Amino acid sequence: MATVIPVDEFITDEWYPGFKPAYTHAPWYIDPVQTFRKEDEENFWFLDFHWPRGLTPMGLIWNEDGYNWSSQLAAEQMPLPPGRGITCRLGGTHTYGSALPVNDPREIGQRARRLERSLPPFLQNFDSIWGDLREEVNESWDYFRGVDLSALSLEDLRENLIQARQYHKRAFEIHFQVMYPLLANYVGFYSMCTELGLDPGQIGKFLQGYDTKIMETDRELWKLTSAARAAGLESVFAANEADRIRGALAAHGGAASTWLTTFDDFLQVYGWRTEGSCDIGLPSWIEDPTPALGTIKTFLLKDTDHDFEAARNAAVEEREAAVDAAKSTLTLEEQKLFDGGLASCRAANFPWWQDDHNYYIDLRISLPMRWACQAIADRIGAGHQDDTLYLFWEEIMDVSAGRRPYDAGLRSLVEQRKQYFDYWLQRRPSLPKVVGTIPESVNDPILIEIFGLNSHFLRAVEAVSSGGQVKTLTGVPASKGTGRGIARVLHNADELHRLSPGEVLVCESTSPNWTPAFAKIAACVCDGGGTLSHAAIVGREYGVPTVTAVGLATMVIADGDEVEVNGTTGTVTVLKRAVLQQAGAGQG
Amino acid sequence: MPDAIAWVDEIAPEQAVGVCGAKMGRLAELLEAGVSLPKGFTVTVDAYQQHWDQAGLDEIVDAALGGLGPDTGPAELAAAAQAVRAELASRDISADLAALIGDAYEELSSRCFEINVPTAVRSSAIGEDSGTASFAGIFDTYLGVSGPDRVLDAVRQCWASLFNARAVAYRLRAGTHHRDMPMAVGVIELIHARASGVAFSAHPVTGKSDRIVIETSWGWGEAVVQGLVTPDHVEVGKADGRILRYRVAAKNVVSNFDYAIGRVVETAMPARLVDRRVLDDEQIAAVVDAVLAIERHYGYPVDVEWVLDRHRREGEPVCVVQARPVTVTAPAAAAPTEWNPAAMAAKYVFGT
Repeated sequence: MATVIPVDEFITDEWYPGFKPAYTHAPWYIDPVQTFRKEDEENFWFLDFHWPRGLTPMGLIWNEDGYNWSSQLAAEQMPLPPGRGITCRLGGTHTYGSALPVNDPREIGQRARRLERSLPPFLQNFDSIWGDLREEVNESWDYFRGVDLSALSLEDLRENLIQARQYHKRAFEIHFQVMYPLLANYVGFYSMCTELGLDPGQIGKFLQGYDTKIMETDRELWKLTSAARAAGLESVFAANEADRIRGALAAHGGAASTWLTTFDDFLQVYGWRTEGSCDIGLPSWIEDPTPALGTIKTFLLKDTDHDFEAARNAAVEEREAAVDAAKSTLTLEEQKLFDGGLASCRAANFPWWQDDHNYYIDLRISLPMRWACQAIADRIGAGHQDDTLYLFWEEIMDVSAGRRPYDAGLRSLVEQRKQYFDYWLQRRPSLPKVVGTIPESVNDPILIEIFGLNSHFLRAVEAVSSGGQVKTLTGVPASKGTGRGIARVLHNADELHRLSPGEVLVCESTSPNWTPAFAKIAACVCDGGGTLSHAAIVGREYGVPTVTAVGLATMVIADGDEVEVNGTTGTVTVLKRAVLQQAGAGQG
Repeated sequence: MPDAIAWVDEIAPEQAVGVCGAKMGRLAELLEAGVSLPKGFTVTVDAYQQHWDQAGLDEIVDAALGGLGPDTGPAELAAAAQAVRAELASRDISADLAALIGDAYEELSSRCFEINVPTAVRSSAIGEDSGTASFAGIFDTYLGVSGPDRVLDAVRQCWASLFNARAVAYRLRAGTHHRDMPMAVGVIELIHARASGVAFSAHPVTGKSDRIVIETSWGWGEAVVQGLVTPDHVEVGKADGRILRYRVAAKNVVSNFDYAIGRVVETAMPARLVDRRVLDDEQIAAVVDAVLAIERHYGYPVDVEWVLDRHRREGEPVCVVQARPVTVTAPAAAAPTEWNPAAMAAKYVFGT
């Protein structure tokens, strides 16, 4: 009997207050965004780690234009032989994803033959293909940066928002059009290496050590940290919470003012990014520099600066050594296969692209829409500039076209929707990681590698669903070494300031804005992810023992537990329970 | 009885299997492959047939086994097989044949510059290694047999092993007759083994023919062949002879020659040898040379038993004591030779 986790708690007639359709309005390619229905239990759904806060009504644009348009479009165009991309269902404000299967063997065969023709030229020409697409994304980015929204009429703001959404949609078409073939190639290479008897823990190293834009940002943050230390500002950082540091520095004057000027210069280059992936609800660092200042605050807690050059050189050396060691165990015939696969994966390097595209797409592509929404909020006299993020697309279209007044009724709905958002934010830590029918296996490469839905994850979910105390967890050995420390179970990046040096980060998954934390943690454990998820890549770059695809780490491990993480074998052991430690002390 | 004895290095290779049975016949064939073989002779199929025709083997067998069928229970079958063997053991080998075997043994000792040289006495039935019926390990082998009387006795034991319970049961199931697999017996010098093992010219599990797989332990090969010890595991690239992996095993049992009783016996491995790597690079290369020569000779993947003589010096060949076609569980044919991203994705990601 297959394990079925019910979806009943998510079935509702009343979704965000004042909005009741079964599915949202935007066009979809194969399957639309919907709230959960009972029959969805027949499929397998996983809680998407990208939006740990949940999504506002306007944030749903991502589900509509990302998963349910762009991933489905890309899966048809490449195509993926057995799948039509990703669809999603809404559990409150939270997103559950699922793969859309192709079932007809004849069609699968035909799609496989199409893939045989389309994949090799894409990989061979990856550099110029991605170069052109990135240029396209950047051209539009420059356009939207250059628009003076304050000079636009409400009608023109509406037009700007429509254009910004079209840009967002096009960027995600590009995102999935590139991601699927890169991943298909990488997962094929990874699996072949495993079959050749190579240690899975070593395979990720073959592609590491190439500079990315995200690493460039981290490097600059460390430079700012050194400058703050040189200017004697540690005490200002130490004495204030992250959101008060800017004010404190300004009040401090002198060297602090000079430092702030440098910091603002940094923001003008690297600050056009949000603190999470593709969410219109998130501000950029320019709008709210708290995350950057908080990161510098935690960096200052370390006695020494992170030596980026040394880490990079070590990563390159480790890469070359790993390749040599692997090849020494292969016959000449196998080496030919391996060399071909490695060259292909280096020319079209998925781990590198993960960081590169996050910088140019995921972390900033929602900003032009956010700016337009905020400008509209100002113009219609909303109480707060984020209020328009709690309107649905049709509503903001009507209001900005003057077809519907932003009246007491809408204002009241916005307030109710904020409460609805907060209610589901509270529920997030206890939400089931997966719902529906647990399958034998999953064969969408994004689900396998990015979400870690490998067979191990699926079996772990089954095991915990059937009850039982778990002390040892296993997952994908993503970055070697052993680390031990107090677990900090974090549910979103806003909590990163709770991490102290030497602690173990336990989370659903990380995204680029979590990167700075890797400079200070002893180890990292993620529910999701594979060898190529963000935590795996950054774990290896920073030499932090990391285990991904543990499945239920955030449920089994409690904040304050003492844990040991073995990134070489992929095991996580709870050594001492936080609760028991306190109880034990009481009992002597 | 001119055809009762056939020397390994004298029999015509194309006749060897018919005259000497599967194991000894193949050994004689290897002479043409240019590998180093132990000295020895075979008590031929003809000798077996002439002797037992005279001794009335069929009557003995028919009397004991005539009533058995494919459905006979194991206890009844074992008792019947035991009765045949007891009867066979009571029949003396004719004086003529005994003399021929004794003379051959004396000649073998002389060729080895020894008196009463210790030997391996091996069953070598017709058809025992055939593609359809493998009798691997069913028939007897005696290691360390010395002196003409003991050799003669071991030959008789090997003959009798044609009627051990497993062999009888196998033939009953397969519907074949003992006359279809007459039993020759090999008598070969016992190589004093520093180490020994098996080698495959294709991976025995994956079927990959790009490598040679060697399993080896200290001493004689019995403990390895019978699975009593976990051997060191070595893989060597066939194209360039590069050692791909060498896994040193904890080897807790060793087959060793006990001079007091004149037999190879299994004992605990001396502590200093348990975790020690058995073969150095030069020795591995010598094993590889022999295996490649045999594979070239036959033109298909082979499974070779080999011994490293205690007195072997660097550069000398290893001694091959047995070779047969390798039984592979997976075909190696479909393995890709070039990186093909779509094919790899289809195979590993999409399962199409």
